[in-house]
Amino acid sequence: MTSFNVIRWIVWKDFVTELRSRETISSMVFFALIVILIFSFSFSMDQQAAREVIAGIMWVAFAFTGIIGLGKSFSTELQNDCLEALQMVPEAKGAIYLGKVAANFAFMFVVEILLFPMFVILFNLEVVEEISLLLLIFFLATVGLSAIGTLFSALTVQIRAREVMLPILLLPLVVPVMIAAVEATKGALNGDPLALYEQWLKLLAVYDVVFTVVSFWMFEFVMDS
Amino acid sequence: MIACHGIGKSYGHFQVLHDVNLTVAEGECFALFGPNGAGKTTLLKILATLERPSAGHCEMLGMHGLKDKDAIRANLMFLAHGTHLYEELNAKENVAFALALRGHRPTDRDVKLALDRVAIGAFADMKVRYYSAGMKKRLALAKAMLAKPKILLLDEPFTALDAAGTEILRGYVRERLSEHGTVFLSTHDHDKTRPIASRAGILRHGALQEVAIEALKSDDLF
Amino acid sequence: MTIHRVIRKVQRFQGWFGGGAALCLGVGLYLGLIGSPPDYYQGEVVRIMYIHVPLAHTALLAYIVLTIGSLWYLWKRDPIVDNMCQAVAALSAVFTALALGTGMIWGKPTWDTWWTWDARLTSFTVLLLILIGYLMLRTFVDDPEKEARYGAILAIVGFVDLPIIHFSVEWWRTLHQPQSISMRGVSISSGLLVPLMFMSIGMSLLFSYMLMVRTQLLYLDRLLHAKQGRLLSQFHLSKSDS
Repeated sequence: MTSFNVIRWIVWKDFVTELRSRETISSMVFFALIVILIFSFSFSMDQQAAREVIAGIMWVAFAFTGIIGLGKSFSTELQNDCLEALQMVPEAKGAIYLGKVAANFAFMFVVEILLFPMFVILFNLEVVEEISLLLLIFFLATVGLSAIGTLFSALTVQIRAREVMLPILLLPLVVPVMIAAVEATKGALNGDPLALYEQWLKLLAVYDVVFTVVSFWMFEFVMDS
Repeated sequence: MIACHGIGKSYGHFQVLHDVNLTVAEGECFALFGPNGAGKTTLLKILATLERPSAGHCEMLGMHGLKDKDAIRANLMFLAHGTHLYEELNAKENVAFALALRGHRPTDRDVKLALDRVAIGAFADMKVRYYSAGMKKRLALAKAMLAKPKILLLDEPFTALDAAGTEILRGYVRERLSEHGTVFLSTHDHDKTRPIASRAGILRHGALQEVAIEALKSDDLF
Repeated sequence: MTIHRVIRKVQRFQGWFGGGAALCLGVGLYLGLIGSPPDYYQGEVVRIMYIHVPLAHTALLAYIVLTIGSLWYLWKRDPIVDNMCQAVAALSAVFTALALGTGMIWGKPTWDTWWTWDARLTSFTVLLLILIGYLMLRTFVDDPEKEARYGAILAIVGFVDLPIIHFSVEWWRTLHQPQSISMRGVSISSGLLVPLMFMSIGMSLLFSYMLMVRTQLLYLDRLLHAKQGRLLSQFHLSKSDS
């Protein structure tokens, strides 16, 4: 019961802080827009070419902005040494982990929902029919990214060179999420039958479960000496 | 009750603490002096279960410092150099959040009383971002007042506090001692500490040496 | 403390591991390079297999040892286990890099390309990235206790991730690559198997030998640092007393 309260209070604290400072989401959205812009300059695309690479661009943009949000998630806890107070919570640290994952997931998901219309407009996509499937793909992939990302955000925040170490450690580990999310998104955008890319959704679901459990367990060792 | 059994801590070839043995009983306030870099904060962090000693272990309230950490934490409050406050939350929200994580749910009245006691009741709805360093210290103290810990650890509590704030802090320490609490503080200020400390020690190059509290003069090195 | 005794006991046979490695590798190299016939399809080129496959096996073995060591460290918190982990991580990175390098050299004449997004090649690359990340992470932490703990966490998470990475790359490859290039083309006949066995065992023994030497070195280094720290603090104390 107390653990559930801890989860709730962590989520509440992160949401209130974000609503008042508007630092995380706004910087994520703005960064993603720049990434999209750079990409559209780098490949001069007609509509046919766009269909091929758009899923990749989308997930590179989402992953990079996600890392910005994940990094901020624990670096804000360094101000006034708030991290020490979290480490001294007399409860299993898994509750803090779940609260942070929920908040990080929410921020990343909101940013993805805000950015998706940009992709639709800038690259002339037709997505009316697949929108619910795309949302499912976004959901599954974002759970995976935030589950393992939260663990490494907490780990890298206490070391030197943390801004570089978070992507260096995190990106190789999320290779499966990136592959699966890109392939599934591509399938959905092309209007392929679900059976053709169903396996990627299953892979994402397995990844989510495995790494929520593993990270939940490992978070204890990150926070607690 | 705090007991250190042969505590050592080293970072690579840098030995911060060296075989620290110490017992502080209930109702006692131990004041730890020492020059900068002597290892005072490291010792406090080990007592606060924040860091793992390289050698030895401590015992708090009869519980093993490495095995029963959560049980110790529920009875311990550490007012560290950082104030553990969130800048975007106001005083009331900060207090509610900190205590909720400890499993407490203070009433609005209690919160108001505690904030009034540290004389920042008028700023209860102001974001901590706009607080001065001394006000943050007072707010952190208010959190400790509501938590009513059996063990109170204070890391240089007098810095940034004015004369009135110092008096509030000393009043709270006396209250904890009268309720059989244990207080352990690190400081550089003999004059402010002498009225509340029952025992004192000096940490030099990682080694602890107990001294008589009366022997500490204000013109000492630290 | 028991672990110290076990390690000391194993260390006593360190020389046997080194000698065994030299013997096995010598026999294996002779059989592989001179004593065995060239492959029907690949000709003399196949002989790099006797280096490449044992390297790859040993790299995986090393990562498994790293994972077991990491779990063990998180459980018992014995610093000597962490010395072992640190030693094995560096070795694992070297073996992985060598396996990748020899794989690329082998790929050039057989597939006519240095690089292909083959599932094994790709997952070995990701493994190498994880190991380099591990070694970097360790250099960026000040507290040795924290360094050991964080390294162990990364190693365990990476171990869980590796099979998933492998499967996802394999699925992805079947979608995007023509099937003409396949690693499974090499049929292993018994003439190839014997030298390969010798090389694999020899390489594992070599790895074990290097691991022991390196662990011992890191352990002694830690003791030296501790001693140095004690002497320094005693020196400063005596100076401030006088």
